[in-house]
Amino acid sequence: MFVLCFLVLLNLVVSAQTQTTPPPPSAPRSVTFPKPVEQTLANGLRVIVVERHDTPLVTASVVVKNGGEVDPLELAGVADLTANLLSKDTTTRTATGIAEEIESLGGELESNARWDSTNISVGVMSDKTASAMAILADVVRRPTFKTDEIERLRQQYIDTLTLSLDEPGSIARFVGAKVLYGDGLYGHPLQGTLESLKRISRPDIVKIHRLYYRPDNAILVIGGDINAANGFSLAKRFFGDWPKPVYRLPALPAVNKADNQTSGRVVVIDKPDAGQAAVYLIRRGIARKDPDYYRGIVTNSVLSGYSGRLNQEIRIKRGLSYGAGSSLEARRDIGPFVATAQTKNESGSQVAGLLVQEVERLAVSSPTENELTPRKAALIGEFSRSLETVNGLVGRVSALALYGLSLDEINHYIENVQLINPSDIPKFAGTKLDAKASDIIIVGNSKAFLAELQKRYGNVEVIPFAQLDLNTRLLRKKQAQ
Amino acid sequence: MFKSTKNMQSEMMDRLTEDVGGFNNASTADDVTIYYEVVPSNYLETLIWAEADRLAGLNVDDANFKSERDVVKEEFRQSVLTPPYGRFEFLLQQKSFLEHPYKRPTIGNIEDLDAASLHDVQEFHSTYYRPDNVTLVVVGDFDAKQLDVWVDKYFGPVAKPDRPLPRVQVTEPPRKSEVRFTEYGINDLPAVGLTFLTPGVADPDTDALDVAAAILGAGESSRLYHALVYDQQLAAEVSAIAESREDASLFVVTAVLSEGKKPEDIERSLLTEIKKLQDKPVLQSELDKAKNQLITNQLRERETNEGKAQALGEAAVLLKDPQRANTDLARLRSVTAADVQRVMQKYFNSSNRLVLYYLPESSKSGGVK
Repeated sequence: MFVLCFLVLLNLVVSAQTQTTPPPPSAPRSVTFPKPVEQTLANGLRVIVVERHDTPLVTASVVVKNGGEVDPLELAGVADLTANLLSKDTTTRTATGIAEEIESLGGELESNARWDSTNISVGVMSDKTASAMAILADVVRRPTFKTDEIERLRQQYIDTLTLSLDEPGSIARFVGAKVLYGDGLYGHPLQGTLESLKRISRPDIVKIHRLYYRPDNAILVIGGDINAANGFSLAKRFFGDWPKPVYRLPALPAVNKADNQTSGRVVVIDKPDAGQAAVYLIRRGIARKDPDYYRGIVTNSVLSGYSGRLNQEIRIKRGLSYGAGSSLEARRDIGPFVATAQTKNESGSQVAGLLVQEVERLAVSSPTENELTPRKAALIGEFSRSLETVNGLVGRVSALALYGLSLDEINHYIENVQLINPSDIPKFAGTKLDAKASDIIIVGNSKAFLAELQKRYGNVEVIPFAQLDLNTRLLRKKQAQ
Repeated sequence: MFKSTKNMQSEMMDRLTEDVGGFNNASTADDVTIYYEVVPSNYLETLIWAEADRLAGLNVDDANFKSERDVVKEEFRQSVLTPPYGRFEFLLQQKSFLEHPYKRPTIGNIEDLDAASLHDVQEFHSTYYRPDNVTLVVVGDFDAKQLDVWVDKYFGPVAKPDRPLPRVQVTEPPRKSEVRFTEYGINDLPAVGLTFLTPGVADPDTDALDVAAAILGAGESSRLYHALVYDQQLAAEVSAIAESREDASLFVVTAVLSEGKKPEDIERSLLTEIKKLQDKPVLQSELDKAKNQLITNQLRERETNEGKAQALGEAAVLLKDPQRANTDLARLRSVTAADVQRVMQKYFNSSNRLVLYYLPESSKSGGVK
C-alpha cells in the first residue's frame, strides 16, 4: 500500500506540466432519431416509412406477425423452413435468378423466422429501391416451395442441428426452453428437432404460408433514403393487389403454459465427452408490453455485459469462465430470463451456485449509483450505435410495430433508461426475477460435478445425452418395449 | 497499449469508453496501426486527453509485456494455425513478397515473438509513436472549433523527437518469371492460390482491379463461382480479392477443391477464366453489377461514424489526401469495360504469377483422402 502511494506521487511530480486526470464530460448533446410515418392499405397491410437521407441506402422489410411460436408441436421448425424457402423459387423467378438479380442490384435479401415474427428484407442503394421491392413482393407472395428445394434445405437444417447437438451450450439452450415452456409457445428449437424436421411435408409448409403470410397480418417497413410519399406509392404498387383472404386469421396460440408450471427443476444432461460444462439458469421473464420493461432491461444489464456482475464474479474474480452473461428476452407473451456460463466440468456446480446467488442478490439490495450509471450507459450506447445503420433503424422500428408500441419510442428509449433508479432494481427483481422459481440445466461430464450438485440441490434429474428427447418436457426417450 | 500510460492506470482506457457506453480497440495492418474509440459525443475532450497521454508515454513492464506476448501467440495459433486454411493465407502473403517487409505478415510467428524483448517494444514505441507520424481522425457530433482547441491543448505539448523517422526504403522488385510452391497443412481438401503483384493503392489502376475482383469473385453469379463451383463442380469455394497496400499490392485468387478433384484442373480453370477477361471486354450488365456491389458495400461500411473514420484515415494516410474518401465512389463509377480488360492484360501474365498448392499433410505420405 505504501509503495503504491509513493508511485502515484512520483507520477504527479514527473508530469507536472500536463493535465494528469481526465477532463470531465460536457453536458450530453441531444439527439433526435427520425420519426416514422404510416398508412394502412385497403388490404390491411400496415406500411411504415422512416426517412433518413444521410446515406443513399434503403432497406425494405416485410414483417409477418407470426414466427416459430405457431409451429405445430410435432412440426417444430416449419415456420423457419418456410421463411428460408421463399427465395428458392417463385412463380416468376428461379432460385439462381433471384440470387443473380439481387447481386446485380448490389443488394442483399434475407429471410428467417424468429419468435413472434418472420422477417423478409432487402437492402439496396436508394436508386434501386423499386427493383428490390419487386423481388421482395415476389418472394413473400408467390413462392412455389419446390420439393427438391425442400429436401435440400431439410438436409441442411439436419446437418446444422447435428453440429449444434455436439455443443453443450446449444444443448442447454434447447433443454432450457423445453423445461420452461414444455409444449407451450416457445418450448421447441426455432430450427426444429431431428424428429420434427423429418416429419415436415410440403403441405405443412404451404399451410404456414397460406395461414400467416397475408396483408392483414403483416407490416412493411421501409427505411433510409426515401421520402414517405414515394415509399407509400411503392408499397401500393407492389403490395396493393396482395389479396386479403376471406378466411379468418387463426387466433393466437393459447397463453403460455409456463404460467401454470411448477419450476425448480435441476436437470443434468450427461455428456461424458464434453470438454466444458454449460450451466444455464432459466425462468420466466416478461412480455414486451409489460410496463416494467425498462426496469427489466436495466436490471438485466446489472448482471450482463463485460463489466456486469456475472462476469465480475465468475470470470474476473474467479477465472471460472471465459464469459458469463444473462438475457431478458421480452416477447409477445412472456419471454425467458437466462443467466449462463460455460466452465470446466469440475466447476459446474459452483458456477450454478454463483448464477443463483447473483440473481438472488439483485432482489436483496439496490446497486449503488456508481455501479448502475455505467450499466445504463452501456445500454444507451448499444442502442444508439444500433441506430447508426439503416438496417438497425428498420429493425428497431419493426420490433416496436410488431408489438403494437408507439413508433416514436425510439425517441424516448434513452430517457426511459435514464429514469431507472437504483431502488428499481430490487423492486423488479423481487417481483419478477425470483431465483427460487428458476430451473437449472447443466450439460457436461456429470461425473465431475454431480455429487456436489446433489449436495446443493437434492433432487437432480440426470439424463444421459443418448436418452435426450427434445420433443417432450420429460426430456427422456420412451424406453423401447 | 491497453496497459497503463503516464497518467492512466491499467485498463483506464476501458473504463473511459465501456463505462460511458462506448468501446475501444486496436489493430495492426501492413501499413498502419489503428487505435480507436467510440463514445458519446460529450466525452470527446476526455478521449482526446487520453489519446494524447497514450501517445506521450507507455508504461510497460516485463510482466505485462510477457502476458501480452502470450496473448499475441494465442492469436497466432487461433488465426493462423487452427483454421484449416489459416496458414495457406499466411503463406500466400509471405511468399508473394521477396524484398519488401510485407513478406513478414503482421501477426509475426512464434519464434519471432519469443525473440522479442521488452526493450524492443519500448524502442518501437519511441521510434514510431510520435506526433509527426500520427493522424487523428474524429467523426461525429461535435463543434469543429472546439475540437481544434482541445487538440492544441492536449496534443500540442507532446514532443516531436529530434531523431529522424525511419521509413521503409525497400521497393519490391518486379517479378520476372512464374514461381510455384507446394506446401502441406491440416486441411482436408487441397487449396490452390494464385497471386499477381500489382501497384500500391494510390495507383490509378486500383479501381479497375477492384472491379475485376468483383467480376471474378463477388457472389454466386460471379465468373469463378459460376464456372468452378456451379458448372464444373471442381471447387467448394472460390475467391478473388484485390488486396491494397501502400507500396505494392496483391491480387489474390484462391479455390478450395471439391472432394476428389485435382489441383492441376482447378489451376487450369482459374487461368481460363482470367484469360476470358483478357480476351473480351465484359458486358455492360456485368460491369454494372460489379460496381453496384462495390459501391453498396462501401456505403454500408461508411454508415457508422467508426466506418467513416476508417475511410478518412485510409485516404489521409495511404493516399495522403482525406478528400480522396469523397471521390472513391465517382472513381469506381467511371471504370469502363476497356479499363478492366486493360488491367487484366497488364498484370495477369505468367511472369507476374505465383502459384501455391496447399495440400493435406495426409497426401504427402501417399495416403488417400
